[in-house]
Amino acid sequence: MRNLFIYLLFFAAIVSACDDRIDVALDGSDPILVVDAWITRQAQPQVIKLSLSQAYFDNTNPPTVTGATVTVTDEDGVVFNFPEQDAGNYVWTPQNATDSFGTVGKNYFLSVALADGNQFSSAARLGRSPAVDSVTFRFEEEEEFFPEESYLAELWARDFEGVGDTYWIKAWKNNVYLNRPEEINIAFDAGFSEGAAVDGDIFIRPIREAVNPFDEDEDDEVLRPFEMGDSLYIEIHSLNRESFFYIQQIQVQIDRPGGFGELFSAPLANVGTNIIPSESNPDVEVAGFFNVASVTAGGRTLTEDAVRQEE
Amino acid sequence: MIKKICSLAIIFTAYFGYSQEKYTVNGYIKDDANGEALIGATVYVKELSGGTVTNVYGFYALTLTPGTYSIEYSYIGFSTQVKTIEVSANQRIDIELGEEGVELEAVIVAAEAEDENVTNVEMSTAKLDIKTITKIPAFMGEVDVIKSIQLLPGVSSVGEGASGFNVRGGSVGQNLILLDEAPVYNSSHLLGFFSVFNPDAVKDVKLYKGGIPAQYGGRISSILDIRMKEGNIKDFEFNGGIGTVFSRFAVEGPIAKDKASFIVAGRRSYADVLARTFTDALEDGAALNFYDLTAKANYNINDKNRIYLSGYFGRDVFKFDENQGFSWGNSTATFRWNHLYNERLFSNLTVFFSDYDYELKFGDNDRDKFTWDSRIVTYNVKPEFNYFLNNSNELIFGGEALLYRFTPASAEVVSDGEVTDVSVDERKGVEASIYLGNRQTISSRLSMEYGLRVSHWNYLGDGNVYTFNDTTAGFRREVIDVRGTDNWESIQTYANLEPRFSFKYQTDPTTSIKGSYNRMAQYIHLISNTTASNPLDVWTPSSNNIKPQIGEQWALGLFKNFSGNMFETSVEVYYKRNQNQIDYIDGADLLLNEFLEGDLLVGDGRAYGAEFYVKKNKGKLTGWVSYTLSRSELQVDGINNGEWYPTRFDQTHNLTFAGFYDLSERWSLSANFTWISGTPTTFPTDRFIQQGYVIPRIDDNARNNVRIPDYHRLDISATRYGKKFKKNGKPRKVEDFMVFTIYNLYSRKNPFSIYFAQEDGRPPEGQNITTEARQVSIIGSFFPSISYNLKF
Repeated sequence: MRNLFIYLLFFAAIVSACDDRIDVALDGSDPILVVDAWITRQAQPQVIKLSLSQAYFDNTNPPTVTGATVTVTDEDGVVFNFPEQDAGNYVWTPQNATDSFGTVGKNYFLSVALADGNQFSSAARLGRSPAVDSVTFRFEEEEEFFPEESYLAELWARDFEGVGDTYWIKAWKNNVYLNRPEEINIAFDAGFSEGAAVDGDIFIRPIREAVNPFDEDEDDEVLRPFEMGDSLYIEIHSLNRESFFYIQQIQVQIDRPGGFGELFSAPLANVGTNIIPSESNPDVEVAGFFNVASVTAGGRTLTEDAVRQEE
Repeated sequence: MIKKICSLAIIFTAYFGYSQEKYTVNGYIKDDANGEALIGATVYVKELSGGTVTNVYGFYALTLTPGTYSIEYSYIGFSTQVKTIEVSANQRIDIELGEEGVELEAVIVAAEAEDENVTNVEMSTAKLDIKTITKIPAFMGEVDVIKSIQLLPGVSSVGEGASGFNVRGGSVGQNLILLDEAPVYNSSHLLGFFSVFNPDAVKDVKLYKGGIPAQYGGRISSILDIRMKEGNIKDFEFNGGIGTVFSRFAVEGPIAKDKASFIVAGRRSYADVLARTFTDALEDGAALNFYDLTAKANYNINDKNRIYLSGYFGRDVFKFDENQGFSWGNSTATFRWNHLYNERLFSNLTVFFSDYDYELKFGDNDRDKFTWDSRIVTYNVKPEFNYFLNNSNELIFGGEALLYRFTPASAEVVSDGEVTDVSVDERKGVEASIYLGNRQTISSRLSMEYGLRVSHWNYLGDGNVYTFNDTTAGFRREVIDVRGTDNWESIQTYANLEPRFSFKYQTDPTTSIKGSYNRMAQYIHLISNTTASNPLDVWTPSSNNIKPQIGEQWALGLFKNFSGNMFETSVEVYYKRNQNQIDYIDGADLLLNEFLEGDLLVGDGRAYGAEFYVKKNKGKLTGWVSYTLSRSELQVDGINNGEWYPTRFDQTHNLTFAGFYDLSERWSLSANFTWISGTPTTFPTDRFIQQGYVIPRIDDNARNNVRIPDYHRLDISATRYGKKFKKNGKPRKVEDFMVFTIYNLYSRKNPFSIYFAQEDGRPPEGQNITTEARQVSIIGSFFPSISYNLKF
């Protein structure tokens, strides 16, 4: 689909659509609880953030929710406490360097009790993530939509056998996290979606290559994704069916190409949530998601050796 | 089936009986310049103060008792002919009418044809002849059938660049577009900027917005019936032109004089040809072009038999290089056989094939690539009979059998040399219908058209049939059961009765009241959840999970002409109620999804409105003003908390003006102006942070809760006709004209949409993220263009 936009760009050369920033007045509404609970089984402090929603054009940090009790319990009843460290940040700290959080295949239950007495819960299954086989770079002397003499990075990893593994692939270039909405890179098995499953393969090329940044300079010229000496670090976080769909919804909502792309944009709508208010406060609105991930990682610095020769 | 209909017709005949010896006068009415059949031409018998109109093949039949009659043959824009005939036996009278002003004889004022809008029982139709369409200022100067009808009341689109059109609050996929009776699934080139119909090959365009007769079915909102020219049967003719986008040609002429003729018309965009000289971006097999080819031939075997063969082939191609790119297009082929069983029983047998397909290919090497073909193929057989029972009853009956083959995806992913087939199973369905309709004149004041269509759908194997779980409305449903099926196994059937009724009551010679009701069933569904429909949207059949859409419409209208038919006016109100309307869960995955049906939601629709229309037919200044006040809404569990919400193409006010002014023999001017109130869209109220991303939030999850600013635009054009005579006084063989157009004259940045996003660029991690609102205007400035057209 995304490539359709390239077509649109091409047409934009003939007729140009205007895409201007404008001022609009929006009705704000009462803030609701937002749970940002994406934890991993890495032997690192795991943070769950509680905050409030804010008016759409409120560009300040969101208000934090303090004084809550946050725990995660596994299916065997083992409790992991997340005491509040900074305002709104609830952190589980490993006992030692190998104290890892969670086991693949187990279910985990989140419990959030707010100071005002409202309670929320959620559940997530911890999925698996495949090892990063390698990272390579390919030299593109001349390619339509990139600057000349670009190096394009490629992530090599193989999806597990069996339909239904889902992943969120995160990349860092020179230790800067690639966090633009269009850089969200998720995989359903080795491909894009459940309805067209590509199982047990090496990730398909668009996913392998979605670890490249396409930043622009002041003149809107696309910069080379990688140059000699640049480094790329990649993490593959496991998702489950629900959290994959959640990120897919987020992509629809926040990755807005603008311009002609607006012809083919889906309607704005709220993304779902897997945070459930307790029976004592069923009508309290809440947003956010709980996911427990396995993480695998790999990386490379671009040197002559890292350049893959086309066969 | 046909036998049954025939016997039914015979019973009808017997029932009405004959009290006196009667004879039939029948024949064809044609344009005397080129032999083209005139559709809807009026045949008026003075002695009876009544008559008939020609059908889509230009055929008419009158039943008369012996005597002498004065018969007027007329058609708008043509001089009327009056024949005095002595009826003592069946007679065949073929008439050729000449264009007004062309003939030297005294022009007879033709009152009867021009008040057709008042006298005809038809309502909620919009007819545009190709001459008017040609005069309307068009974007980039490209004459456009689809854009032209959007200037008529009740017809709109979601915005510039959007493909298709919306009729009386219906969606794009609820219109049946017929080109010589074959359905065209995608009416646009280059997304929605240009329509696929070559104006040089189009003869007649008629849009049914309501009061749809029984012979049409299959979509609940409208029928756009486009008829191609047959080709000049008298002389060779060449039409051509160069516009900003297309270069065009059309050749037509007799194969055997007065026996057989043909037309071949083609268009191709030529921007890529020019671009090649400036850039090397189009090397290595890269391409960007779109083209269409229309061809038709007909053979008049004898007085009783005539056959037509027509075809259309159009395609949009965009390739990055030899192996990568997209293309999509329609192709249709229609064979028709007109046969006169007797003086009063006209029949037509249509057999057609229609195919819409697209193809995507990515990957510049064989180790990593993606290919995807999708198509919908339709085969059809449609026998139809037109029985001119007597002057008060004209029966139309017939049947239709359509076989659809849907291939949503025949697709393959190759990842590092490993091949995965990600095809979605082929789906098949047969839509069969029979219909009977009658156009009855009860008195000179009251006439009616009524009929019944019975349609039946059979969803056929093979492929997997899925059963989904029930979940909270708005969430993706999971497959709980899969069942394999045999090829051609019947999986699910549906049947519907589709009654149709309209009446006209004439209160005085220039005023009439009309009303209509129609019920329509639609068995195939266009799956699209984006603002504008795009070329990759797939059609999906009614199945065990998707019920057919049912649409009902009631309409009432007042029609009045003034000043000797110089002014035509009408007011129509309508109410529509639709069932089984499809919407989508948030984040729905509609393309290449084996489990598509799990992402669909179902609800109800309603639309209502009032349409006002004033048209000036004569004089140096002609044109019309149209105003529509309307509402179009959906109610779907899982969207907007299950409450009614306006559709994306709901337009409260829609005002259009189209004017044409003949300045001199050499110059004519045209203008059109459109004012549309802002279409609904969804604005967020709040935002929240998730994993470093700013996510918009809408309080109460409302849909289409605000409206974007109003849209208005003025386009003008001037046409300069070439000299008719050479310097030595001899007439020039070549007729030519140039059209200068300015689209969006006052450069208004009309909003297509307003969207919300975080500020462009890479936000530093952990810092506040700025969000903003942005407005997109598809054509944000004035756009001049020139085209040159010639004919010889």
